[in-house]
Amino acid sequence: MSGNFELFHIVWFPFAAAFLCYLVGIRQKKVRDRLLQLSVIAEMGLVVWAVLSWLRLGELTFIWEGFCMQGIYLKMDGFRVLYGCIAAFMWMMTGIFSREYFAHYRNRNRYYFFYLLTLGATLGVFLSGDFYTTFIFFELMSLTSYVWVVHDEKPAAMKAGEIYLAIAIIGGLVMLMGLFLLYDAAGTLRMSELYTAVSAVRDQKQAQLYAAGLCMLFGFGAKAGMFPLHIWLPKAHPVAPAPASALLSGILTKTGVFGVLAVCTEIFRYDPQWGKLVLYLGVITMFGGALLAVFSIDLKRTMACSSMSQIGFILVGAGMLELLGTENALAVRGTILHMVNHSIIKLVLFMAAGVVYMNLHQLDLNDIRGFGRRKPFLKGVFLMGALSIGGIPGWSGYVSKTLLHESIVEYTGELAVHGEPLLWIHVIEWLFLFTGGMTIAYMTKLFIAVFVEEHPVRQKEFDGKKHYMNGESIFALLIPTVLLVLMGFFPYLTMNRIADQAQGFLHGAAPVHAVHYFSFGNLKGAVISLAIGALVYFGFIRKFLMGKNDDQEQVYLNVWPDWMDIEDLIYRPVLQKAAVTIVAGLSRILDQMYVTQMLLKVLLNVMAFFSRICDHLVDGILLFFRSTTHRSKTEQHIYLIGTRLSRTFGRILDNCVRVLNRTILRKRPVQRSFVVTFAEWEEMARKTNRLISASLSFGLMLAAIGLALTLVYLLWW
Amino acid sequence: MSSGYLILPVVLPIVGGAFMPLLHLPDKKRNLFLEILVLITSGIAVACVFQRPEEGFTLFHLTGNLDFALRLDGLGSVFACLVAVLWPLATLYAFEYMRHEERTTSFFSFYTMTYGVTMGIAMAKNLVTMYLFYELLTLISVYLVMHPMTKKAIRASRTYLYYSIGGAAFAFISLVFIIIYGDTTDFILGGVMNLDKIGGHVQMMQLIYLMAFWGFGVKAAVFPFQGWLPKASVAPTPVTALLHAVAVVKSGAFSVMRLTYYCFGADFIRGTWVHYVVMSIAMLSIIFGSTMAVKETHFKRRLAYSTVSNLSYILLGVTMMSPLGLLAGMSHLVFHAVMKICAFFSAGAVLHQSKKQYIDELDGLAHKMPLVFTTYTIASLSLIGIPGFAGFISKWNIAAAAMHRGENFPFAYLAVGVLLYSALMTAIYTMTVAVRAWFPDKGYDAQSNEGITDPGWEMKLPLVLFAAAIIIFGLGSGPLMDLLNAIAYGTF
Repeated sequence: MSGNFELFHIVWFPFAAAFLCYLVGIRQKKVRDRLLQLSVIAEMGLVVWAVLSWLRLGELTFIWEGFCMQGIYLKMDGFRVLYGCIAAFMWMMTGIFSREYFAHYRNRNRYYFFYLLTLGATLGVFLSGDFYTTFIFFELMSLTSYVWVVHDEKPAAMKAGEIYLAIAIIGGLVMLMGLFLLYDAAGTLRMSELYTAVSAVRDQKQAQLYAAGLCMLFGFGAKAGMFPLHIWLPKAHPVAPAPASALLSGILTKTGVFGVLAVCTEIFRYDPQWGKLVLYLGVITMFGGALLAVFSIDLKRTMACSSMSQIGFILVGAGMLELLGTENALAVRGTILHMVNHSIIKLVLFMAAGVVYMNLHQLDLNDIRGFGRRKPFLKGVFLMGALSIGGIPGWSGYVSKTLLHESIVEYTGELAVHGEPLLWIHVIEWLFLFTGGMTIAYMTKLFIAVFVEEHPVRQKEFDGKKHYMNGESIFALLIPTVLLVLMGFFPYLTMNRIADQAQGFLHGAAPVHAVHYFSFGNLKGAVISLAIGALVYFGFIRKFLMGKNDDQEQVYLNVWPDWMDIEDLIYRPVLQKAAVTIVAGLSRILDQMYVTQMLLKVLLNVMAFFSRICDHLVDGILLFFRSTTHRSKTEQHIYLIGTRLSRTFGRILDNCVRVLNRTILRKRPVQRSFVVTFAEWEEMARKTNRLISASLSFGLMLAAIGLALTLVYLLWW
Repeated sequence: MSSGYLILPVVLPIVGGAFMPLLHLPDKKRNLFLEILVLITSGIAVACVFQRPEEGFTLFHLTGNLDFALRLDGLGSVFACLVAVLWPLATLYAFEYMRHEERTTSFFSFYTMTYGVTMGIAMAKNLVTMYLFYELLTLISVYLVMHPMTKKAIRASRTYLYYSIGGAAFAFISLVFIIIYGDTTDFILGGVMNLDKIGGHVQMMQLIYLMAFWGFGVKAAVFPFQGWLPKASVAPTPVTALLHAVAVVKSGAFSVMRLTYYCFGADFIRGTWVHYVVMSIAMLSIIFGSTMAVKETHFKRRLAYSTVSNLSYILLGVTMMSPLGLLAGMSHLVFHAVMKICAFFSAGAVLHQSKKQYIDELDGLAHKMPLVFTTYTIASLSLIGIPGFAGFISKWNIAAAAMHRGENFPFAYLAVGVLLYSALMTAIYTMTVAVRAWFPDKGYDAQSNEGITDPGWEMKLPLVLFAAAIIIFGLGSGPLMDLLNAIAYGTF
């Protein structure tokens, strides 16, 4: 362990705090809630302390060799300072807000535990100085934030959690593959050394580098919500509790963007091919997200789709800063500022949505319409966020979107100078402006639904809610809103400085001449977007996405067809059914049930066959001899019955009977044999004979005795 | 330390286990006796490893130059140490698990004897000795699979016997050929092949290597001889966990390491056709095992399929035919033992406490058995290869070895792809269980979970220790990796 320990403290503290809060929370719920708020504030303090050291010392680094084998390397320079602060700030605000929001939730202990773990992991990602460290914390963050998504344990949440986990794990694995390829090609994963290392081998290992880059883009892009890996985002963000949604949208997606930017600038610096890829993906994400948002009728889902769209804007910036080459100042600054803006805007908006949900436990626009009437604070906060994200001049979103737009315009000019085809870049510019218009349209839809229109039934009840949030929550909403407004109103003082500090990460220089945000040329883009926004809202949303329900009330309609879900349409069938079934089928064929047993059976049968042949060889010899030389004699055994007399007469009679049977007694032939009959007679005669002789001798004996007695009487009497 | 001490860890458990039934001890005293016996054995074994006698110890001459001899070298020390640490804990776990079973005395008698035999494999000095112990291991552990004495168990033990004896026959062929064409049968890092003797028979010797790889690989459940392992999961959990996740299957993997690096020599195989074949076999087993695990719904059988794929991770490392590969194989040998025994013991605890065997019955059970499912979740995360857990380190090593080998053997790049596919499957088959248990869908059958609790301390202690080991190895594996590195390069 060596280096500046401030960074180390930033990372380990949340992990320790998580365990502490968990243990305290088992017994003391109230103490735990306070302890949690204290922890996130202390974490902010640690970050501020590190920032102060950074101001004093310049770049901070921290190395822990051998930790998780390859060691971790933390670093703090311009961009990392910025995002470290934003992450800690967002956790602080949501932490303060959570106490009221979660007051009636179950399983709070579990939630807070993972909430703090994710804080540590996220800061680890933003402070990482090599891709290995990024990867470790990135994986950890993906897993711990899963618990946020499924916190409600409702079927929708479980399904969203499933897809979230699947994308996170697949993304992580693919990214790991990319890291292997990159490490193999370049020999290092440290971001500051990568560019030199990669440049040295670029010619020999072009394909491998692109493969590595694509794998890493897959992993980071999945987290950022980039098309076509965005599928989890519109599902997972709305089902999480509101403070968690704010963090998921505002900061966790940015870890993905952070990775994408690092890949863009450190591996493929100024590579136009790569830039075009990122740009196209960015444009699709930007436009698709906005389209989904326009159709959505759920408060948080709209915002989640909006997040996706804003990530698209950022990716457009990432593509542009590659395409523009060394003169990419506008794109670099636009990208960074839009990241910052989006983080803070989404913090505000999702917490505002959280206030609505906290009171009504509903998010469908038809159920919550009118809730914001006569609630000036909530209305103000939401309006600031909406204006900002819509890119209205005077608010912060305008500045970053203008910079991004300008970078496209600049690239168009560059292409025109070289005389290359311009059509595609014009298409992208118009898509950019059109998406800006859609942003305005869907934010207007939300604002009008929640804060202007009246609820047909419950309006009185809504208006009666005066104490809809406590002081802490007001504080948590107020601070970021104020920040947002300050940034928007004083862009030269605030946003330019932020951009100056952070642009080193993306290797951008300060622009050649200062950008005048409120010049006519720049305002024109905003005006076009506003016009498109008005057109979309009045011409499309109010015409086609609203209609009468059964009670003849004007309601928001969900016209987006259910089957138009890229997850159910493509990913699930392909992944679950096709892939698993095919591989499992193959495996089952290869399983011992078939292969080994078949082999064994075949072997056994073949062997048995041969053995039997061998068996019969000897048998055959034996049989041969037995039927020839050693044949045994065959004699008829006759069992004699009766005596010669009975047999002779019996046979004579039998022969007579046979003759008679054939002639006279044909109808009723005599069946029995006279030999047997005579033999029986003889037997019976012998027995009788024996009896008679026995009884005769007895009679003789008695007669003899009587004679003797008679003689005695005669002689002596 | 005198080399004579080497005999003790082998003979003590065998003699102790064999004569234990004659003592007719009551259960409690018997358990105490066994635990002390196992602990003493482990103590001697670990002492032997740390005070390593340089010389071997020859027990007796069989014939000619074939000795029955014991000796500890680097690789053997790793395996001996691993077994010595895991066995006392597993025995402790078995006491509680087997409490309500019948015929426990004979069970524990065989269980303890297996310990000695496994030690014999770890400490064998030459191929002949290892082969003898290898066969002995089969014969003794058959009873353990058969122990429930149900029809299924007997059938499983018969399958196990057929496969193992068949494999040993292959192994025996290789033994003969090594005696003929090698300088000696002793284990020497780098191989003992005598190229002068082999002359024109190189092709044949490579074929012999393939046969031996399969022969010893039967115990490591290498494709297509993996069939016995899932079937054997009918045995009591201490058996499936210890034998079929650690002792028996690891003996198989260990034997393949011995065979590859210490008999034939990596140089002899590298780059030849047989190299392609064995690497493909390993990859195929990985894909096969992890896919089948996803399709399997029986908890323990799923883990058994997972073992099939993880054992081939080790073999995949081994078939890189480089010191880095051996290092990767050894690290997965150690880490997989810890995480799989942790996962199996958790599954066993679930089975023991709730009598639930199938995964769809486990909804919401984690809230009743928090400790068991925490350890299970840690083990699963580690099996997937999430950074911060031990499994990540070994998988990284395997992939790094593959990338390194890939430079002049492009087939090895495929290994990285296979690893990633398998990691994804691992995520599916382990996490579905954890998610079900921790986050059940609303309206699950909570009635069936009534009254289920965490098990007693004898089961908890091993679980907690294993889970802690997974995290500690995951965070700080430096010293161990240095040691394994030294072994792989032959400097330890």
